[in-house]
Amino acid sequence: MIRGGFAGRVLHVDLTRGVVEAEPLDDDLARDFIGGLGLSAKLAYQAIEPGTDAFSPDNPIVLGAGPLVGTNLPSASRVFAVTKLPTSHSIGWCGGGGASFGYLLKNAGYDHVLIKGRADRPVRLEITDEGAALRDASSLWGLGVDETCEALWREAGRPLGVICMGQAGEHLVRFSMAFIDRISTLGRGGLGAVMGAKNLKAITARGARGIEVADKKRYRRSSRAFLQKIREYPYLKESQDLGLVKSFPIIPRETYEGMKKRRISCVSCPVGCKDLVEIPDGPLRGFEKHSSSVVNLYTPVLYGFRDYRESIKCMASIDSYGLDMFEFFGVMSFAKALSDHGVISGEILEAEIALDSLQSMETWARKVSYREGLGEVLADGFEGILKEFGEGAEPLAPAVIKGMHPYAGPGSALPWNLFGTMELGQVLDPRGPHVGSGGSPTYFARRPLEVSPRHLRRMGAPEEAFERILPALGSPGGKPGLGVGRLLRYSHRWFSILGSLGICARAGINRFYDASLCAQFYETVTGIETDLAELGRRADRVWTLLRMASVREGLGRKDEMLPQKWFEAPGFKNYVTEEPLTREEAEQMIEDYYDEWGWDRRSGVPTARRLKELGLTMDGSASE
Amino acid sequence: MARYEIQISSERCTGCLRCALACSDLYSKSFNPSVSRIQVVVLDADWSIDFSDDCNECGVCVDHCFYGAMQKTRREGGG
Repeated sequence: MIRGGFAGRVLHVDLTRGVVEAEPLDDDLARDFIGGLGLSAKLAYQAIEPGTDAFSPDNPIVLGAGPLVGTNLPSASRVFAVTKLPTSHSIGWCGGGGASFGYLLKNAGYDHVLIKGRADRPVRLEITDEGAALRDASSLWGLGVDETCEALWREAGRPLGVICMGQAGEHLVRFSMAFIDRISTLGRGGLGAVMGAKNLKAITARGARGIEVADKKRYRRSSRAFLQKIREYPYLKESQDLGLVKSFPIIPRETYEGMKKRRISCVSCPVGCKDLVEIPDGPLRGFEKHSSSVVNLYTPVLYGFRDYRESIKCMASIDSYGLDMFEFFGVMSFAKALSDHGVISGEILEAEIALDSLQSMETWARKVSYREGLGEVLADGFEGILKEFGEGAEPLAPAVIKGMHPYAGPGSALPWNLFGTMELGQVLDPRGPHVGSGGSPTYFARRPLEVSPRHLRRMGAPEEAFERILPALGSPGGKPGLGVGRLLRYSHRWFSILGSLGICARAGINRFYDASLCAQFYETVTGIETDLAELGRRADRVWTLLRMASVREGLGRKDEMLPQKWFEAPGFKNYVTEEPLTREEAEQMIEDYYDEWGWDRRSGVPTARRLKELGLTMDGSASE
Repeated sequence: MARYEIQISSERCTGCLRCALACSDLYSKSFNPSVSRIQVVVLDADWSIDFSDDCNECGVCVDHCFYGAMQKTRREGGG
């Protein structure tokens, strides 16, 4: 049935027994769950016993690259991992621009990798087109992310796709990340620590099998027209030159141009956004840093650093340990508040916590990553701190959602104050707050509502839903509004489409795609008959399955609580009226979101009727 | 088939491999950068772009570069 796109195999790895086995991809599953994010979620759902601890050997990591990865469709390089995460305790996804890993995994002959068990010593999973093997990684243990990648490339040469974690992952820091080729992150939620619990330092991929497409003639015709459309985009050069600085102008252009050394892309991407920078002057002159974006290197500035050069140096340490930068600064802000109020004091404190100091933050990044002293408590994140310091700590805690600090909103790194889909999405994504899946017209605040219908069509939202999402838009005398919860439901569907195909969701590239085109490319590449309605239905199935995974873990409405801090001054504002956002309004958005999905509007549990419509059975299998 | 002299500006290369994907698609009938006639070797800060001996200078790699890392000039007398 499948005639292209997929590599056709799933690699099963048992770290406890030291066994690797390739199995043929199940064609029906591939069709029902699209691939990439969707099929990873499905394989994880099947493999995870409810209630399994994130650090248990029984918790699998499922990696996947979608069916378009490895072709030359723009930015089709995305890689996903699905596992039980140690911060949210949900079955969540981590996804990143795949850099070179995605296409090399596919060229080695695998679409997915399912890793279970725990090795009795540090290992690396080596995947090539001649097979897969577990290699001793003792010499890599103790190295940071950059050092690990460099050591592997020195030994084996390039191209070699690398997923690895740093010292924070080794020490099971609950907010440690995994990195791809050191420039991309399998980010928030703690995947690095799940790898650490398995003694799995790194996964490497290399291969030359080639990826074929089912209908070559049609592919050439449609991809040529699509590429031409991108070439004609009037801001293409500016996007390429500035990367994410174009959309997030927190860095003065001249400063950025003074340190920019090279733009780096994931494979097949025409609007690369990764950076290599070099500090041009001062005591740190000549210091180089690879990053998923130079914008991220400014995170310490958002927390008070006055010298951007020190900010870059600080981020080099945070990234190399493999820490989640938002969570690290959130946790350190909390620890600072506890120190200021005397909850943490004396010998326990060990070193001053100064959020604006390079020396202090590097000291604490190390303490957390190695679980030294108070770092032992901080490494367990907000949950660990509240457990240790109890009631005295609670009132001083910043906003926390599903065990993590929101990255956007009052008191967060990005102090956006209009409440749109990105902001609400922090509560409703299965893994909690992270950048990415809630993209929509509200991604960049104050985009006029009049452009929304065009965008909704592009995302594949049905016309009958427009009136619910945009009440009174265009009606004379009506007061236009925005149903943020209802819109977020379609943002999550759009994200599921992109992620399952393997296309990057960053706004700079997904702006060129639309859902119909995605269906067309999927059909052309794989040979699986698919139209817009069917692709949308499969994507709905993917996101609903992730919901069922949460429900099965006992998670639900009670875990999707809006932080009280969001409703205290300065608080959020309504996206349209710019009046202060009330809790009642935001609660309504959550109910609207559940309702628009066809889930129970009070509990958020998918209804039996909805499951039937999606062809999902209660055990998560599809019945097409 | 026309032949082109191909000039490289490797400092503009981002490592996206669109060139190698296009070349391998044309000549090996699958997307497979490893067997492409253009090889982009990603190094630390600088990287190299080389052509294999069987490159026939058709210029398809240049056509697929979005970053201006390659330019092509038609060779006199070339097909």
